[in-house]
Amino acid sequence: MKQLRGMRELSTVAILIAEVLFFAWYLWPESGRAHPFLNAENAVLILKYSSIYGIAAVGAAVIIICGGIDLSPGAVIALAGVVTGHLFVVDHWGLAPSAAAGIFAGVAAGLVTSVLVVVVKLPPFIATLGVMGITRGLAFIITEGQYYDVSSRLGAGFRPLGLPADWLAPIVMFAMAIVFQLLMTKFQWGRAVFSIGGNETAALFSGIAIGRVKSSVYVAGAALASIAGVVLVVVQGQGKADLATGYELDIIASAVVGGASLAGGRGSVMGAVLGTLIFGVLRNALPQIPGATFYDRLIVGLVVIAIVVADQLLLKRGSKS
Amino acid sequence: MSLQFSGIHKSFGAIHAVRGVSLEIAAGSAHALVGENGAGKSTLLKILAGLVTPDAGEIRWHGRPLDHRSPRQAIEHGIGMVYQEMLCFPNLTVAGNIFAGREMCRYGALDEAAMRARTAALLDRLSLRIDPDTPAEYLSAAHRQLLQVARALAFECQILVLDEPTTALTDSEAEHLFEVLRELQRGGTTIVYVSHRLPEVFRLCGRITVLRDGELVGTFERHAVAPADIVRAMVGRDLPARSAEARDAHAITALRAKADHPGLSITNLSRAPHFGNISLNVGHGEIVGLFGLVGSGRSELLETIFGVHRPDSGGIDIDGTTVRFGAARDAVRAGLALVPEERHRQGLFFNLTLRHNLVVARSAVTREVLIHERDEIAGATRLLEEWRIKAPGVAATPDNLSGGNQQKVVLAKWLAAHPRVLLLDEPTKGVDVGAKFEIHEMIRRQADQGLAVLVVSSDLPEILALSHRVLVMKEGRLQGELPGPAATEEAVMHLATHDEVNA
Repeated sequence: MKQLRGMRELSTVAILIAEVLFFAWYLWPESGRAHPFLNAENAVLILKYSSIYGIAAVGAAVIIICGGIDLSPGAVIALAGVVTGHLFVVDHWGLAPSAAAGIFAGVAAGLVTSVLVVVVKLPPFIATLGVMGITRGLAFIITEGQYYDVSSRLGAGFRPLGLPADWLAPIVMFAMAIVFQLLMTKFQWGRAVFSIGGNETAALFSGIAIGRVKSSVYVAGAALASIAGVVLVVVQGQGKADLATGYELDIIASAVVGGASLAGGRGSVMGAVLGTLIFGVLRNALPQIPGATFYDRLIVGLVVIAIVVADQLLLKRGSKS
Repeated sequence: MSLQFSGIHKSFGAIHAVRGVSLEIAAGSAHALVGENGAGKSTLLKILAGLVTPDAGEIRWHGRPLDHRSPRQAIEHGIGMVYQEMLCFPNLTVAGNIFAGREMCRYGALDEAAMRARTAALLDRLSLRIDPDTPAEYLSAAHRQLLQVARALAFECQILVLDEPTTALTDSEAEHLFEVLRELQRGGTTIVYVSHRLPEVFRLCGRITVLRDGELVGTFERHAVAPADIVRAMVGRDLPARSAEARDAHAITALRAKADHPGLSITNLSRAPHFGNISLNVGHGEIVGLFGLVGSGRSELLETIFGVHRPDSGGIDIDGTTVRFGAARDAVRAGLALVPEERHRQGLFFNLTLRHNLVVARSAVTREVLIHERDEIAGATRLLEEWRIKAPGVAATPDNLSGGNQQKVVLAKWLAAHPRVLLLDEPTKGVDVGAKFEIHEMIRRQADQGLAVLVVSSDLPEILALSHRVLVMKEGRLQGELPGPAATEEAVMHLATHDEVNA
């Protein structure tokens, strides 16, 4: 099983490499001109925008492995971003307290979800659908349609932690991925998440604290989404209520492409991050192909299906040999 | 005129499930297939049912090859299956279940009236007094089982295959099923009967085929063999019988030990509508058997003691301390362990390795935060050896294991958590003879080392073989208690069915 999981991540890496090679070849420029895709600047760009999805996908993977689903990360990203933006721009708070308040707002949304799932026992799909509406609604109520110009208050020379601003998102993503990868593989908490997702009844009979673990999973997911929201506002320089609209499905798709099973019990955090990079490369490279602009959503959809089908075929063969 | 299997081979990856089995079943006969779990019976049945395609070999019916690739085609060829797990649609009515997938239609619309009439006729033929419009979820286990037979009959099956059909049935219900089967056989239906319960096999079937490790051991005429011969053929060795005297001596030591070691003590525990006013004690070193049929409230009682459900009233004491559990987790931490009835649903994690499965209960007790991989691998490897679990290794998942080995994993997982009180719910359900024997030995050894064991079972020989004392439960009440030496099959059954006898 462990070897299998390792292999699964390797195959996601292989897909990513194949994808990069394909676009490097397809977009190869005429001699003398710079490569439009294969250059350091573009790599940073891909990482920067994928990371917003990636940070949230870490949470999505954990929730899906636990047998749940979360439709709210896009809205939580917006709420956290808007709260941070409002406090920072309108109320002139410092950046750190504004960010902390934004994350706090997102975590509060996660707490509501976990109460709905664990105490009220709503199906996670319904609970998070409701929370998605509520949080998105709150974001609109807070902004009243305006947008916060975070970048002008940050100033041009903004260097978080003394590093270029573009590096912030990837660093946060990889840090979160490492932390949660360790939590999921080296800690009892992670095993409890896998156990609950694999067989909740058996987990109950084995003395696993199901309620506590499930709550923590939804709170962690919301916390990660709100971190993504704060990072997004800081990196993009503006906060508005329709931030990250529709991200939830891309985030779920990334986790699934990275090996998470919607039936629960299977998947990995690293796989989810790799999944976001696969989509990040697609979103970056497709518009550069002349005439492909209108095809990118279609291609993204096909890629999701192709990867998951290939995964199932491999899994079937793997269990036979 | 017969059903012929010739040279059937089937492998699942590294596991060679059926190795060249050739076998002939006479048309219109009742033929038993027996063997331990993993002997290849289920695979053979699945091939017959069209669920699995053989790697080599073929099946012929009346000389014509049966080459079906799906259960639907098997049904069209007249093969009806009654599976061990009761497959039924709880949300559909009795009639809906019988015709699921093959609904009768008229002008392209469902013909409810025709299906209802046909169902009523079938139910009548099976002497079942149930309304065709009853939703299946309200049926008893026995009726659901018979519903599957009705489903097979609905399309005039020529071959009826039953896989462990009596697991959930009481004796009188099983008797009714046998009546039905004999009646069908008289009408010319060929019956293929798979069971662990040899007495049933001997009552119903004229010939008995024994499989072991995917190979055919032999086919025996019922009149020419004794059950002991069949067991020997199944296991490939003699099973030592445990003498009654040894059991009694054991009972006496345990009784002595019990006085000073209270273990588990329950007073007037009630949870409506499942059971009421249950009081019992299980001392350390003692095995108490709780005999009750399906629906007697026995599983609910164990689950309530274990904190899965909250009792309406009554108290639970462990080693003299009153406890109150909010959840199973509290019970685990107080030193209780429950081996639940359904290992697939309640006991095993099929997405995780055996290592994880084996340590999961212990880590719930120890409050560890980190996973200590090396310790776990060593511990799990030791458990595999100690319990003689046949598995490729600790990195394998439970789905590669036979039922007996899976059950050993569940037991080993709990005993590794070092409980003080062990609750067992049907500890050898669907387990082959060899594994059953080993599991019994392990339970006895644990009791000898001071564990308090409460074992619930509807398998009477099992209760009698294990218990120092037998309690009998019926319809949520304790009917009585029999000390070890007084517990005979007749005495226990008398208590379990007493009211029915009077009625």
